[in-house]
Amino acid sequence: MAPTSASAADSPTQSAPDTIENNLQPFFVLHKASSRKSEKRSAGTGKTRRRIDLSPSPTKKTEKSEECDEQHRFEQLRMEAFELVWSKIDSTIKDVLRGINTNVFDEIHRWVCESFNTIKSFGTPGIAEATRAFPIVTDASCKLLFAGLVLTKNMEFVDDLLTFEEVGLCLKSHGCHVANLSSLDFSAKNGIGGCLRGLLRQFLMATLDAADMSILASWYREQENNNSPVVVIIDDMERCCGSVLSEFILMLSEWVVKIPIILLMGVSTTLDAPRNLLPSNVLQQLCPSKFVLGSPAERMDAVVEAVLVKQCSGFSVGHKVAVFLRNYFLNQDGTLISFIRALKIACALHFSMEPQSFILGGLLDEEEQEGEKSGLLPEIILKNAPQLPLYVRNQMAEQNGKSLVHGLSELKGLHKCWSIVVLCLYEAGNCNKIRLLDLLCEALDPDLYTSKASNNVVLENDCGLPITSDRSMRRKYSTSQKGGLISQIIHKVRDLKAATLYQLLKNWEKITMDVPEIHDKVKELQSEFRFEDGKLKQNVDDISKRHSSLSPLNSEKDSKAISEKAAALLDSLVGDFFRPIECIPFHEIVCFKSVEKLQSALIGDPRRRIQVDLLEFYKILRCSCCSKSGNILLPSMHDASVMYTLAQEHGDLINLHDWFQSFKTIVLRPSKKGKPKLKQSPLPKKRKDMNESENKSEASIQARFCRAVTELQINGLLRMPSRRRPDCVQRVAFGL
Amino acid sequence: MGRENTVEEALNLLRSRLCNPSFVFKPLSDSPDSNYSKLKFIISSSVTEACNNSILLLGPRGSGKIAVLELVLKDLLLEFPDLISVIKLSGLLHSDDNCAFKEISRQLCAEHQLLFSKMASFDDNSQFMIAMLRECGLAHKTIIFVLDEFDLFAQGKQRVLYSLLDAMQSVTSQAVVIGVSCRLDADQLLEKRVRSRFSHRKLLFLPPSKEDLQRLLEHILSLPVDSTISHDYAVEFNAKLQKILADEKFKQIIITYMDSDATVNHLLRFLFRAVSYMDLGSGFLSLENFKTALSNIQRQPKLECIKDCSILELHILVCMKRLEVKEQNSYNFNSVMKEYKSIRASFQMSEYYAWNICLRAFEHLLQRELICFTDNRGQNQSVEFRPAKLLISSHELQQGLKSYRSCPAILLKLMDREV
Amino acid sequence: MGKEESPQVTRRTTRSSSSATVATKTCDSHPLTIKDLVFGEDPISLNDLLSSFPGRRIQILELVRLLGASNSPMLPLFIYGGSSSGKTSIVLQMFRHLNRPFVYSSCRTCYSPRILFESVLNQLLLHRKDAANGYLSAKRCERPSDFVNFLREALSNVINNFKGNSGKLGTKKLVGQADGNMVYLIFDNLELVREWDKSSTILPFLFNLYDILKMPEVGLIFVSNTSPDTYYSNMGYMEPIPVYFPDYTEDDLRQIFMKNQANRKLYSSFLDVVLRPFCRITRRVDELSTAFLPLFQKYCEPLHDLGVVPNEEMKRRLFSHLQPQIAPSLNEVFKVSSQSSPAAESNKETKKKSSRRKLGVCAEIDELDFHMSTSAKYLLLSAFLASRNPATLDASLFDSMGGIDSRKRKRKSSQKSLEKKENAEQELLMKGPGTFPLERLLAIFQCLTSVAEGSIDEEEQGDEGVQGGDGGLMSDVLLQLSSLCNANFIVKGGSCPLEGSTRYRSTVCEDMALKVARSLKFPLSKYLYRR
Repeated sequence: MAPTSASAADSPTQSAPDTIENNLQPFFVLHKASSRKSEKRSAGTGKTRRRIDLSPSPTKKTEKSEECDEQHRFEQLRMEAFELVWSKIDSTIKDVLRGINTNVFDEIHRWVCESFNTIKSFGTPGIAEATRAFPIVTDASCKLLFAGLVLTKNMEFVDDLLTFEEVGLCLKSHGCHVANLSSLDFSAKNGIGGCLRGLLRQFLMATLDAADMSILASWYREQENNNSPVVVIIDDMERCCGSVLSEFILMLSEWVVKIPIILLMGVSTTLDAPRNLLPSNVLQQLCPSKFVLGSPAERMDAVVEAVLVKQCSGFSVGHKVAVFLRNYFLNQDGTLISFIRALKIACALHFSMEPQSFILGGLLDEEEQEGEKSGLLPEIILKNAPQLPLYVRNQMAEQNGKSLVHGLSELKGLHKCWSIVVLCLYEAGNCNKIRLLDLLCEALDPDLYTSKASNNVVLENDCGLPITSDRSMRRKYSTSQKGGLISQIIHKVRDLKAATLYQLLKNWEKITMDVPEIHDKVKELQSEFRFEDGKLKQNVDDISKRHSSLSPLNSEKDSKAISEKAAALLDSLVGDFFRPIECIPFHEIVCFKSVEKLQSALIGDPRRRIQVDLLEFYKILRCSCCSKSGNILLPSMHDASVMYTLAQEHGDLINLHDWFQSFKTIVLRPSKKGKPKLKQSPLPKKRKDMNESENKSEASIQARFCRAVTELQINGLLRMPSRRRPDCVQRVAFGL
Repeated sequence: MGRENTVEEALNLLRSRLCNPSFVFKPLSDSPDSNYSKLKFIISSSVTEACNNSILLLGPRGSGKIAVLELVLKDLLLEFPDLISVIKLSGLLHSDDNCAFKEISRQLCAEHQLLFSKMASFDDNSQFMIAMLRECGLAHKTIIFVLDEFDLFAQGKQRVLYSLLDAMQSVTSQAVVIGVSCRLDADQLLEKRVRSRFSHRKLLFLPPSKEDLQRLLEHILSLPVDSTISHDYAVEFNAKLQKILADEKFKQIIITYMDSDATVNHLLRFLFRAVSYMDLGSGFLSLENFKTALSNIQRQPKLECIKDCSILELHILVCMKRLEVKEQNSYNFNSVMKEYKSIRASFQMSEYYAWNICLRAFEHLLQRELICFTDNRGQNQSVEFRPAKLLISSHELQQGLKSYRSCPAILLKLMDREV
Repeated sequence: MGKEESPQVTRRTTRSSSSATVATKTCDSHPLTIKDLVFGEDPISLNDLLSSFPGRRIQILELVRLLGASNSPMLPLFIYGGSSSGKTSIVLQMFRHLNRPFVYSSCRTCYSPRILFESVLNQLLLHRKDAANGYLSAKRCERPSDFVNFLREALSNVINNFKGNSGKLGTKKLVGQADGNMVYLIFDNLELVREWDKSSTILPFLFNLYDILKMPEVGLIFVSNTSPDTYYSNMGYMEPIPVYFPDYTEDDLRQIFMKNQANRKLYSSFLDVVLRPFCRITRRVDELSTAFLPLFQKYCEPLHDLGVVPNEEMKRRLFSHLQPQIAPSLNEVFKVSSQSSPAAESNKETKKKSSRRKLGVCAEIDELDFHMSTSAKYLLLSAFLASRNPATLDASLFDSMGGIDSRKRKRKSSQKSLEKKENAEQELLMKGPGTFPLERLLAIFQCLTSVAEGSIDEEEQGDEGVQGGDGGLMSDVLLQLSSLCNANFIVKGGSCPLEGSTRYRSTVCEDMALKVARSLKFPLSKYLYRR
């Protein structure tokens, strides 16, 4: 074992490069995708790399030759699996989001049609009148400009860019003329001309330097299509320059009879935003009506439900990862985009780290062609089943692929149950606004389960259908975590109104449709419900009012009883089927757990990173010259890092002169004592900076100094001298 | 019916006279010491003696500088039909050198039936001008440059003036530069190099004297007895007119009107208005016409604005005025609102208006330009924080409040009480 | 309406999609003729004109007189009066009545000299921008000098054209033929020209245009909503003849609103209720009409048929019904109707309910009705504090935990003498929220987050919470800052955030900040100086 470990220790150094390229493909794709923290992430995964190929490493040294192509096959498989899974997840997310917005879109379209009709009722001028320079004389009310304020309930508007495009497409599909303007068109620099130009560019595909409304009018009238509204979408109103926007609105309102323009503005904060942005005489011209998009929390829950709970793709995340994702969503930037990105990174990490993850791909396309022979996992699994280190981890005795297949199917079954229970809980919960994300975090918590399991040793391996799940244990469970959401929900269910309870049961019935054992319980409870108060079932919809008509006490009583039962059912469900993924064998295949890597990949703060890299740069450029010298500054070091290390001595005000002096001394040092040394040891490195130290003049040093300073400034570590202290630069000291 | 037409014809005649300065200034120009004769003498002499010359016509706006010049040029063109070509520039249009030279060469081309290329560069045009000057000099043809709004040419590098005057230094050339400006110090604006080349002959245009005024009025308003207009109507008209002109009240009106601005064009505007009020039924001017014209043409815009204000806006004005009385060096909408609230509290005013309504009223006042922001800085700051100031004196406000119908008494009280 | 809308929509889309048909369609627009310089519709009589503009009799008559007979020249007019006092409409209708050729250009639509010039020329040259000519104007013209030249020739063409027509006009009077050979140039919204960057040259040019052109057949009319004295500049000009449109009086307004009302009696009783209080605030027709529209609907709610002639007690009933509505609508500037149609309304309701049922909404978002990430909230709060608190107090406020500094702060505030506090808040009134450099913001932010760590911890289970808490909160502050700036919660002056010069200022109102603090359970008031 000793030699293996030794070789395992040094194996990464040589075997790292080749594996890394293909191993980390998804990463590099990601890097290009997400611009901001890219350099951070690459740095962050520096550690990751070494860890990644530890798992296959013991097998690696056995036979080198076909080992690598084995590796390559795995890489390929994993890559494919990743593509497959992620595309699945991605498409699901898109569908969900679209689904959320549809009815808002319908409202918007209806509103557009109505306002268009009202505009037309003011009169539809022919081409002759419409292209006149003078306005059509009407009363004040006809100059009103219909404006839809779309409240995107999120301060960050990145999520909604897509939404507004989709609104545009939706309206286009209904035959409106649509132009999407953004705040960039309303910059103070370009002024009103800029946004008109943008408008014309989108409508009549022509860029004119002298753009004015009359052009638009003649375009609109000369097309035969002048019986359809012209919708102008401004997706982020707050960021527009107020004066330009108000100019624009006033101009439109002058032309509104000739060109039935309808504004659609995205408001990311509150309705006060237009009030603050626009003067009253502009607001006067607007005839606003507001639309509300789904709040990010709602969308988030929808996405989570679709992706993580009901398992669109086999992929799932561990408890800690879930918690991390949730915190990231709440604390960092609450945008769905970033959440999805995080999810994608997690997925990619999983597939790049977990050797067996390709099986997931297999599982997935097994689902794709449903009904065929179940155990068709590609035989490679069976073939290299013995070397799956996952076996080593949960040391089972003799194992073969058969049990693996069985285990996988069992995993799927269990997880399905789990997700159904979660959904039931959620259904019960969201009458009092429990958020699915939080619920998920708790539901995934393995030590809940283990704590519960510690009470009875029955369900360790075969918890598919536990026998006598004794109430005492579950009582203890549900009472043990008072704070826990789950117990909260169960308590809530106890005192539910009959009507809502009925509704809830119906939902449960829908949810649990395809897991018979749970479904039956729900069914029976429902039937019992019916049976208990017969009048409830024939007309359930007006249950509430007849509820009031009923004498309170008996209604109270029976509803109480029912809800008791329901709570009991829920409790039993939690007790029986509530098994977090991490407590199921083989979960390593489908479940991503290592939160540190995700974190380092996602948030690492670039500022700190820059400073660290400046201080220990030799870790990055592994040059022979400076790495050995601990923290003695050598002239061969990079100027910026030399300067920064020097700057460490100073406070947050650095006297430029001293700084320069110390820099100079360091840069010139070897030329002092380098000359004699040249004879005996002509290291190529030394000679290089020798003969550059020949022509190293004051001027060149100053030049290098200045360049370094500017580099530091560009990196945001310095601030250039102010008028008051012309001789000092200031360190911008945050991040570290 | 016939009557109608004659009256209308007469009215048209009067109006077209008023809109035609060359007609108006005719009578003023016959006396030997009038600007007309001086100017005519100077130009004609420089034409006959084939020498260069430059003059400044200075005088307040609307004192008929251009009109007189037009008259002169018209006569001279009749006198020396093919010895003169006139180039007219206006400082409003051609103050920048490029289009000045462009315009000059365009007009030169038009004068001499050459075709003008829009593409010609700045240098081409200036070269062309100098060449033309030489040619015309050799052909003993005088080019007269009329530079209206002369002071605007004196802005910037004055290249136009310089190259013009410099070209005129050469003996061959033969040109007259006539600067017309309403700035009496126009020649002080010139650079040294330009001024040295400029002859400092100036003609000053003064507002007409009283008797000139009388003659002018008569000349303009009286109908010709020998024309298409029926004779007896014209006679009757003129008789009535004489009566009006002789009337002391009328003289008073004219004096009160003219003391703000005594130039002829100013008078013309007044007459135009009065004439256009002429009653088509009777067909004669009456003193009433002049009275109404006076009342309509002499306006006090600020007072009107105050009259237009709503009660709330008046409140805000008064609050601002009180703040100014309190020697608050600068104040903004917030402090105005504070004042407003305090007033409401202290006088138990019944009505209460929300913050945003007051803000709207404030913006109305800004649009009426009764108030304005003290500085253009801090655009990114919201309206309520930008320091503002009144554009009307407290006296005007006082007056406005008094003349405001149904002005709440409390406001007047607040105005009076200086606390 | 909606359903019979959809088929034609589809038909139209198909047509528009095929560009060939469009091309054929475009050519059928008849070429402009000299006739198109007049208003176009059949002229109206003077009485119609007077009756269609109540309270404007004097101005209309004066204008008619000043414009004079069809061929008589005219000095430039300057029409001014408050906004929505009927200037533009009256001038246009006037020309419809007079049936004379005119060229209208609004300085709002024509937002730059070039576009103004070109629009005038296009109209005079009977040029219409369309697909055929690539939506270009007849002449490209940016300089006043070029404009004058083009204008001269265009005008003389038009005028000769008219002269020719009027020559043979004796024989047969063409329909839609313009009277006289005057051409009027109307410049509307002149006050906007003052904001143009070239205004110092353009304005005098426009005012002197009459003298520059020296064409008696041209009449100039300037329409502005500010009085002539607001145009005086260091360089004077011939002042045109002023015509003043005063704002409508209450009686005028009553007549205007009574115009084309279905049930005059009912509406007049309505006006009796609302007109006076509203006139105390504003007398602008547009503002009043937008305010009255919903009120009248409210007023009519109790009635089943709107044809009724209200008697006294009914009036009283309606009034009592309307009474509660008046005060709020007096005090609102910008009313956002939640939905346009009741159907949509109900549908929206159901959708809302369903969404409630399906997706939970966390309480925090409910009270602060849009989503912000926690770090953004803290950043917002720290910006708020940085704007409100004097920088000198930061040390004493943030050096340690709440209890101590609260006491310290109390002592400070007690030391404050009254008048100092007075002019301090005067300062706050004047200057508004103060500005602060990036460092100070970040320092405060760090303090707040470190203080709030405790709360965050118990709110998050698991140790990632802490990492996600502090390091996380700190990590991409600049990103958060920029998004706060985008949302206009923080305005920043000038250059890049790494440069020293930028100072920030938070514009959030106090209750907003308090809301945010509440959503974080953060004791804001403890850190707010002078609370």
